[in-house]
Amino acid sequence: MRLNIHRYKVIYGLLILAIASGLVCSLIYGAATLSLDQVVHAMFSQGGEHSDRVVWNMRLPRAVLACLVGLHFALSGLILQTLTRNPLADAGIMGINAGAGLAAISVVVGAALLPFGSGIYSQGGQVLTWLPIAALTGGCITAILVYLVSGAGQMTPLRLILTGVIFAAVFNALATGLLALWGQAHTETVVAWLAGSLHGRNWLHLWILLPWTVLGLIGVVFCLRPLELIRLHDDQVQCLGVNIRFWRLVVVLLATLLASSAVAVAGPIGFVGLIVPHIARKIAPVSFKQQLMLTGGIGALLVMTADLVGRVSVAPFELPVGILCALLGVPAFLYLLRKNP
Amino acid sequence: MSLMLEQVQLGYGGSTIIEDISVVIPDKKITTLIGPNGCGKSTLLKSLAGLLKPMKGSVSLKGKALEQWSRKALAFEVAMLPQKPTAPEGICVKALVEYGRFPYQGILGGQSQNDKDVVAWAMAQTGISELAERSVNALSGGQQQRVWIAMAIAQQSRILLLDEPTTFLDWGHQLEVLELLTKLNLEQELTVVMSLHDLNQAAQFSDHILVMEQGGLITEGSPADAISPKILANVFNVDADVEIRGNNRPYFLARGSIQAADQNLLAGVTP
Repeated sequence: MRLNIHRYKVIYGLLILAIASGLVCSLIYGAATLSLDQVVHAMFSQGGEHSDRVVWNMRLPRAVLACLVGLHFALSGLILQTLTRNPLADAGIMGINAGAGLAAISVVVGAALLPFGSGIYSQGGQVLTWLPIAALTGGCITAILVYLVSGAGQMTPLRLILTGVIFAAVFNALATGLLALWGQAHTETVVAWLAGSLHGRNWLHLWILLPWTVLGLIGVVFCLRPLELIRLHDDQVQCLGVNIRFWRLVVVLLATLLASSAVAVAGPIGFVGLIVPHIARKIAPVSFKQQLMLTGGIGALLVMTADLVGRVSVAPFELPVGILCALLGVPAFLYLLRKNP
Repeated sequence: MSLMLEQVQLGYGGSTIIEDISVVIPDKKITTLIGPNGCGKSTLLKSLAGLLKPMKGSVSLKGKALEQWSRKALAFEVAMLPQKPTAPEGICVKALVEYGRFPYQGILGGQSQNDKDVVAWAMAQTGISELAERSVNALSGGQQQRVWIAMAIAQQSRILLLDEPTTFLDWGHQLEVLELLTKLNLEQELTVVMSLHDLNQAAQFSDHILVMEQGGLITEGSPADAISPKILANVFNVDADVEIRGNNRPYFLARGSIQAADQNLLAGVTP
């Protein structure tokens, strides 16, 4: 027992160190490599020089945003895997990302059809501020639809996941159709967004996401015990005084809130929600609480690292973070799968 | 007032499994449901736990219908061990037994000293104290069953429902579980309701027997009263001898299934 507590201290220490050094590297490296002095200067000055503005207005918010997005997707994945008792569940499989994406694309395309707008990026803040609301609404509507169609309170985890897969397919098809018909002007930006990208994200995006992060983390604290118990047999869960229908709905909505708010600012970054919970489970097989905390931390680290590599590896171009997450995450996942059977 | 069913009809979706049943579960006794596969034993247990709303009639505890109890209030009265519980991957024995204290803690509450004491007591009662830090999935079937019972009694409810608690165990472990339940019944005045397949074990360990067939209650009473050769022939299609042993407990020895006897008769073979 004592050994375990000691082990967790070391693991958390390493994780915090890794995230901190990732953050510093994210500030130093990019299209132009800065010195540590320049970065320090930028952090404590009002941004007079060009390098100050690069660090303060671009790299810092983007790195922090990457952490939060990773935290969102990873936690949402762990919650959905626990709820459905299925190791392959995540917000992508469950149709939540597809629903959030469809809603966001509808807003982008819709805004372009209106006389005052021509797309999220050229339009700037106006459409952008609505995008998370649209994605959240789309994600929540999808989650509720999936929940109801799969039989609400009486649903079995398997039925829930199959219904999710169907909704994901339908909404992805609708999104593609929408783009093909009306989205010509934005195909490029939307496709980049659908691949999962943090390109050009700044403080505005961070402030849009942050309230949902806070709300999501509070939700996670309240859902921790019910989630732990939901892993047992349904009959036992209810006989322990847990209203399983209520908590299943709350937990689905929490996972949806986390995933679709992240989709709104960064697009549907795949694999994070699927892989990170497995890594956390391998590191802390016993305690669900530790798994939850590790999942959040590793998710943040993975997305931040993936974004950094994506920016640096083919500079001055960028690889979307979604692609890098898959490239970095999958080998790690396969290694862990083979290591302890 | 004890747990009781009055003219209850039960089923899932549209299909009825139990047509009309009325039973009073005797307080502080061991009641065993026997009957062939698919006769509705599990369904009846589910309804006694308030997990299945009756289509007709009412299931009540202390004179109040179970639907009117909140799940939380009911958790202090009834605990249930399903037939195939599954332990979360990697969980250790102690953590699992601690889940039994959830009704006393709530969503954000931590463990009180009393919770810790009860968990230690439950593990001692079931003889699993030494296994506290072991992973549940690495234990043998008999040990796992004791862990589940420990979790259920840590809940400190007055009534414990068990769906075929001996099914996946070998002979020795089956007896261990039944002896444990008898001990809890005598020492803690725990009301036990369970389903069993082994009639000799049912007769040996129960105060009260409910014989079920095709969703109906055929008869009930003490083991010696409820299980007769006629019942065994009608309900189980088994031709058996019954011998009354010490403590007025019947003992059954099967001679063969009745189908086999019929077939032998047709083939002209005399047994």
